[in-house]
Amino acid sequence: MSQFDATDWIIQLFLRLKSKGYSLGVDEYRAALEAVEAGYAEDEAMFLELVQILWCHSRSQQIQLDPIWQELKREAQKQKPPLKDPEGIQEPPSPTPKADDEVKPQLPEPEPLIKAREPLPKQEVSSLPVQAPFTPVEREGILPLQSYFPLSRRSMVYGWRFLQRPVADGCRNVLDIPATIQRVTERGYYLSPVYRRQLRNRARLLLLIDQNGSMMPFHRFARDLVETAMEESSLQKDNVRVFYFHNVPASHVYQDLYLTSPISLQEVLGACDRDTSVLIVSDAGAARGYRRQERIQETTRFLLQLQKRTHLIAWLNPMSRSRWVGSSAEILSYLVPMFQVDRFEFGEAIDVVRGVTGPLVQGDED
Amino acid sequence: MNQPVQILKFEGKNIRQPPSGAHSEAPKEPEPYLVSSRLKTAVNLAITLRRPLLLEGDPGCGKTCLAKAVAFELGLPFFRWNVQSTSKVQDGQYVYDALGRLHDVQLQKVERTSRRDPSNPEEYCEMGALGKAFEIKDCTSVVLIDEIDKAELDFPNDLLTVLDKPWGFEVKETGKWVEARLNHVPIVFITSNKEKGNLPDAFLRRCLYHYVEFPGSEKALRDIIDRHYQSEQVEAPGDDLQSAAIARFISLRNEGGLIKKPGTSEFLDWLKALQTYMGKPYSADKLIGSDQKENKLPYLEVLLKVQQDWRKFKPADEPV
Repeated sequence: MSQFDATDWIIQLFLRLKSKGYSLGVDEYRAALEAVEAGYAEDEAMFLELVQILWCHSRSQQIQLDPIWQELKREAQKQKPPLKDPEGIQEPPSPTPKADDEVKPQLPEPEPLIKAREPLPKQEVSSLPVQAPFTPVEREGILPLQSYFPLSRRSMVYGWRFLQRPVADGCRNVLDIPATIQRVTERGYYLSPVYRRQLRNRARLLLLIDQNGSMMPFHRFARDLVETAMEESSLQKDNVRVFYFHNVPASHVYQDLYLTSPISLQEVLGACDRDTSVLIVSDAGAARGYRRQERIQETTRFLLQLQKRTHLIAWLNPMSRSRWVGSSAEILSYLVPMFQVDRFEFGEAIDVVRGVTGPLVQGDED
Repeated sequence: MNQPVQILKFEGKNIRQPPSGAHSEAPKEPEPYLVSSRLKTAVNLAITLRRPLLLEGDPGCGKTCLAKAVAFELGLPFFRWNVQSTSKVQDGQYVYDALGRLHDVQLQKVERTSRRDPSNPEEYCEMGALGKAFEIKDCTSVVLIDEIDKAELDFPNDLLTVLDKPWGFEVKETGKWVEARLNHVPIVFITSNKEKGNLPDAFLRRCLYHYVEFPGSEKALRDIIDRHYQSEQVEAPGDDLQSAAIARFISLRNEGGLIKKPGTSEFLDWLKALQTYMGKPYSADKLIGSDQKENKLPYLEVLLKVQQDWRKFKPADEPV
């Protein structure tokens, strides 16, 4: 058996995996080197196993590794002949003096595989001018699985956690040990423990969610948003209220996502005070590129009504910023702080509705 | 490091007695466990690289038992930390009983006796699993952090700082610095069921990852049975009952269309029930013969834990 030298491959595979979105750092690279030195990569199978354990952090990543590795090997093979002579790869890898022995026998092993495959495209080249059909299949297969949506549930939960307005108005049953000890030392004798009131989160959230039509692809996202706000946030359940609308919040909004039980907008707004955080979730025409005068007017009227009640308003737009241009979203983003949905901007939206940053609208940025 | 580093290697041996020179806090009871070669590599990598090993996988496939099996084979002290939804990382380090100390101070004024001496703050500090592991200076120890996904959002990130250099922490109340020796850094196993979604990226990056799969082949199940009955030193079920049970179980998992598939631990319980419940072993022919045809399953309460799955099978008639 020819010897497999993992040090040749390690940096290449590391960079390739990083570019494919694997979360890896220099420490992980060094750990792999350490493991290789400790003899965990004697042959190719062992090396792949090592990489799967050390660099892959889910089952799907482990499964994806093999195609990536094959691709890397194929590419390296193509580049090999010119690189072999000017010692391009030979120099760095070897702490051992036997570098020449190792690199040369390593080549014949993968070569048969490639040779078996390479005749195919060559034949095609001779009969057809282009060899297109291979690459797109390989490259595209994995991508759609990678991210369903740029905001994971975890990030939502994390975001909600910052929506805090703690007020100590709960039961007086939290033991304050430092204060108790302090009082004992002051008096010289112990009388009773010192209790504090429980902190409760008094932040209130109003979620207004656009349903149906162009929002159809984002129903799952909206549902996650509602579920995390209700169940997995520090917000008290009574303080989270969710209403749905279609296109524009008109005189009525709906209490259920099927838009069957209406409630008047006045009633909803009536329950808002200046401490209520309002998040509006809608694509504002950006999904289909609409720019309709009457919708913009209606939405503006609604926003003005809302702004009389509270200034803690943010708009989450599931379409990315680049798609707002030319649609109603672009105009509305000057009226109310509008954010695209990703981890960073969701955090900013939360900052706006909790009153940390002022009501920043697009125009202010310049 | 000039000191000779003790090289630990986990082999997954089938042993019933703890190795000679095992630590006094090492598990005394053997933990029968069949290790795949990939899992063996993962464990040894975790030992070599001093990184925690994150185990995910179907429930009941032996995530939790592994740590104990490793501790038993290597004769190392074993500490288990069951994470709860209210767990904080500090609980794994130490718990300080400030209230008890205050109580004892007052008690001394009246009775002049107390179990602990309140003038010594160290007496009120109790070490958690990690604290105990760090304090053992003469050998490496094994720590199991079970079901990390149950804890709060920040828990894994907080844990990260503890499971890295300088491998130590300060007990704030006493000012004591607890530190593990660099060549005796604990071997850490972490299990997760992904109950509350994914773990944070930074945490995953630091961990080694292994997915514990259900041993789907007949041979693997047979090996597991052998190992279990050997270690318990009880007579194993007869060959025909074993084969019948394995065949039935595998077909149940693969073709049963179950919502919640039973794991290895359920299988072993089921086999035990088949063997001993009625005082005599269940008939192997009946199990894969008439029962299978009529869609009956003996002792299905051991295997099926969801109502919808129950509806798919009828309980078998009790053998008379």
